[in-house]
Formats: sequence, structure tokens, C-alpha cells
Amino acid sequence: MLSLAVGSSVSAMAKVSMHNTINYANGSGKSTATQLGFIKGSQPPPSLLSSATTNISTSFKTAVAAIDSSDLTSSPTPAKQEAKKYSFVVANAKFMLDEEEHFKELLFERLRNYGERNKEQDFWLVVEPKFLDKFPNITKRLKRPAVALVSTNDTWITFMKLRLDRVLSDSYEADTLEEALASNPTTIEFEKPENWVAPYSKYEYGWWEAFLPAGSRESKV
Amino acid sequence: MAAEMALVKPISKFSSTPKFGNPRTFSYPKFTTIKMSATAQTTSSSKPKKKGNKGEIKDTLLTPRFYTTDFDEMETLFNTEINKNLNQSEFEALLQEFKTDYNQTHFVRNKEFKEAADKMQGPLRQIFVEFLERSCTAEFSGFLLYKELGRRLKKTNPVVAEIFSLMSRDEARHAGFLNKGLSDFNLALDLGFLTKARKYTFFKPKFIFYATYLSEKIGYWRYITIYRHLKENPEYQCYPIFNYFENWCQDENRHGDFFSALMKAQPQFLNDWKAKLWSRFFCLSVYVTMYLNDCQRTAFYEGIGLNTKEFDMHVIIETNRTTARIFPAVLDVENPEFKRKLDRMVVINEKLIAVGESDDNSLVKNFKRVPLVAALVSEILAAYLMPPIESGSVDLAEFEPQLVY
Repeated sequence: MLSLAVGSSVSAMAKVSMHNTINYANGSGKSTATQLGFIKGSQPPPSLLSSATTNISTSFKTAVAAIDSSDLTSSPTPAKQEAKKYSFVVANAKFMLDEEEHFKELLFERLRNYGERNKEQDFWLVVEPKFLDKFPNITKRLKRPAVALVSTNDTWITFMKLRLDRVLSDSYEADTLEEALASNPTTIEFEKPENWVAPYSKYEYGWWEAFLPAGSRESKV
Repeated sequence: MAAEMALVKPISKFSSTPKFGNPRTFSYPKFTTIKMSATAQTTSSSKPKKKGNKGEIKDTLLTPRFYTTDFDEMETLFNTEINKNLNQSEFEALLQEFKTDYNQTHFVRNKEFKEAADKMQGPLRQIFVEFLERSCTAEFSGFLLYKELGRRLKKTNPVVAEIFSLMSRDEARHAGFLNKGLSDFNLALDLGFLTKARKYTFFKPKFIFYATYLSEKIGYWRYITIYRHLKENPEYQCYPIFNYFENWCQDENRHGDFFSALMKAQPQFLNDWKAKLWSRFFCLSVYVTMYLNDCQRTAFYEGIGLNTKEFDMHVIIETNRTTARIFPAVLDVENPEFKRKLDRMVVINEKLIAVGESDDNSLVKNFKRVPLVAALVSEILAAYLMPPIESGSVDLAEFEPQLVY
């Protein structure tokens, strides 16, 4: 039994290191592409292509045009019915989608929980959100592209701010969900980490698509 | 304190762990070991009574400590009338998260557990039993502490108190689940007995915050790392409990967030030079203890297909990055010199263990130990004195307005 254990440990180590090697190879391959200016003519790997762009339907744009951009958080015209408050945390895409892997786990955990309890989803990820135009004090401190986590559950956003820490937080009002979650078409690209030493691989590129607003998801294909 | 060192021995670290020299040797406040009078009653988790041949477990095995603290001071700290700084909104947000109870239905066993346990023989079986015992004790110690804090803070801060109670719910659940795992091996921990018989280590509230924060966060990183590794390498999945780790460790992570909020509510624990020294001290204690413990149990990690040292360094680096979001200073663990120091400590520690296991009489043993302990202490001290990294929450940072996100 002892020898068995040792045997398996050796193969385990071999496996781990092989795994790493593959990752490295991948990593350097991709980062080279990036340095050369990926997407410039050359074909990015299909996995990147499929989710690289977030298109917004035109109806979104019209909706956004109606927002008074000087007004930050409150006082929607009373005529518009049921303006809702949306809270958000925002940071650069690299931080939100690539570096903070626990963030992905939290979102999927919450989605699972909503499914189990038949709750309607009230949180989304928005890539390059249009509502940021209303927050010059945030945008001037933000690396782009930016990604926001938006929710109508303000209390939960307070929790997410506590968890993520390195994010900016605020809230705004919008009349419709489409308006609230409107975004600008953007390409998201991450360099593979140079030195990935974890005994597992990164979460797959594009995991966040499950959380994009329905409109931007559909229009992509 | 959760999963924490579960796989190893928990955070026993700060108290005297003779194996790596007594941390007291470098500036430690006097710890008193006191008994916490009948704290929380044992819950459902203590149900399983001794079944088989299980006697009491050796103390060394159970090194997960039980903690107690100055409850009066805790009451003062979280009294909303005395302490106006308290950011209740963060506590309310956490309360909502804990009430959501994401893992309410997660810990359901199936018949694979028993089957897997029966298949496990020889040394691996023993290692697994030890792992389950340690983990269970660690979770249970968290349960006791949180339960008591929940009880004591009810009057002065009901929100904080309720969070503690809900965290003790999580811990009881985890401990119960692990104890059921032990029953697959025809064993059970008598948690009621443990509650009364074990010694309690006393920590001032401030140290409870540092220690439990770290132990929850490192617990998260250990569990998620094992989970993700086994997901990609299912051939090493020798017992189904690991399947539960992904959801399980989200609990640990949230518990850590709560201590983060507690510390932010008490900035005096974060914003001076003493806080920086303590932060580094606790980081070092936790990392060193884990490394030394795990290096004594490589069979476990290799048994599930991990390289022990690589696994530990990954966990240390990630925990340190996480901790840098709240502690005012952390260690430069990504400096290769840090790992070199840890590796030298392992070698010294192995020699110390060999002395302990030799046939010499105790006088000779102690004599032989002196230079080794001195060497270990000097390595630890050198690691402690390595240039640290300034850190902390952006909510408390003066330079925050210049930050780019």
C-alpha cells in the first residue's frame, strides 16, 4: 500500500508539472499575439473570437440618449414610471473578470441560489457600461475597458464592495432594464499570466457571459 | 475557524507549538489558557457517539485549538452607542448574505462515501482519518467561539451577534458533515466531550480578529485549490468529500469577509505601527505552521495528487494577496527568499522531530534540541524581519483618491 501511494505521488507530480508546461506554452503564445497587436489581421483563437465583442442592439442606444447626463444619482422625472435604483461596483475588466477568480465563484453561487429558490435574477455584469458617462469622477480613475457589477439589491452591492475592495461603487436610476444595462461594444482581451503556478488552470475565458444582460448576449452570435 | 487548517492542524500556531519553537520567544503576550464555562451546547453535530474502537484522540493529533476571548471587551467594541464609527451598512450587508444561507441543502451525503472509505486501506486510510479528525475539530472550535460571541453580543449589537450565530451554524454544519465522514471509517468524535475536556486558548479580541481572518481565508484557499485540482484530475478523487469543497469554502471566504468588516470597524487595530507588526506576525505564524505541518504529511497531499510544497506556496501567496486587502502590512512571500527560509525551517523541524523520536533520555533530548530550536527561531525571526509590503483596504487608505481602478 505504501508503495502504491508513492507510485501515485510520483505520477501526480509528473502530471502537475506537465500541466504547467502546457499552460506556459499557451500563455506565451497568447501574450506574443497580444504584443503583436492581436486581432490585427491575424485570427485570434476561436475561443477569443466568440466572445470578444459585446454588441448592443440599437434600441439600447435610443434609450440611453434619453438620460440626462448631468444628473448623477437621483431625481428622475416623475412622469417616467417606476424608475429603479441600480447599484454597482466597477473596476477594470482585467481585475473583475480575469484576476479575481473568487468573484466568478460568488456569481455562480448566487445564480445557483436564485435558481433553487425561483428568484428572478437581479444582478448583471456590464462591459463598458454607458451609465459611466454620468460619473466623471469614477471614469477618470478607471482603466478601460471597465466592467461593472450592477444590481437592484443595494445591500448585496455593499457586500461585494467589501469583498472586492479594489472597486469603485455608486448608484443611479433608470427607467428600464435595457437603459440601465446599456453598454458600448468592446473587445475584452487578457494576456495569459506569465507565471501561472496554481495546481489548476484558470477559469475559462468568457465565463462572465452568463451574467451579461440578455440583449448583449443574443446579439453576439 | 473553519476549514482553515483543517487538513492540517489549525491555527494552533500561535499558541505554543513546541515543534517549531515557542513563538513566545519572539514577543508574545502571555496567553492564559482558561476554560470557557459550558459554552454553547453541543449541537446536532455532536450526535454521533463513539461507535467503534475509538478512544480519545491524542492531543497532538487534535492540535486544532479551541479559543476563547475577552467577551466584555468584545461587547464594548461593538456597542453602537460607544462606538459611533461602526459601519453598520457593511454588517447589514453581511447579515443578508449569511441569512441567504447558500449552503442550506448542500451537505447531503450519498452512499459513495462509505464505499470510498471501505476501499481505502493502509496508510492512506490513516491519513484520511487524521484529516477528518483535524478538520472536524477545527470547524467545531469555530462553532464554539462564534456561538458564544453570538450569545454575548446580542444586547450591544444584535446585527453582529446574529452574524456570529449564523457563522456558528455554518461551522456546526461543516463539523457535523466531517463527523459523519468519520463514521464511514467506523469512528466518531465525541464533540460534547471535546467541549468540556479541551483546553481553551485565550486571545484578546484584536488577536482573534487577525487569527480568525487568516484562518478563514487560508481555509478558503486550501479548499478551493484542492477542489479545482481534483476537478481537473479526478483520478485522485479518493473520497467524495472533496466534491463539496467548492460551495463549502465559499462559507469560509464569507466568514473572512466578516472579520474584515470587524477590523474596518475598529481602525485602531489596523492603522498604526503596532498593527503592522502584529499583522506580519500573524501572517508568519499561520504560513509557517501550515508549511511545517503539511511537510510532515506529504503522503496526504501526494495521495490526492498534489505536490505539497507547491500546493502550500500557492495557498500562501494567494492568502497573502487576499490579506493585503485588509491588513496594514503583509509579508513579501513572493520573494524567493521567503520560500528558501521556509524550506530551511522544514529541514530543522525534521531534525527536531527525529530527536524527539530517538531513544535518548529526556535530558539528552533537550540538550540536542537547543541548537535546533535556536536555528529555527533565527530563521523565523529572519523571515519576520524581511522587508514587508505595505497594504490595506482602499477604504482606509489616505492615498485612495489617487488610485486608479
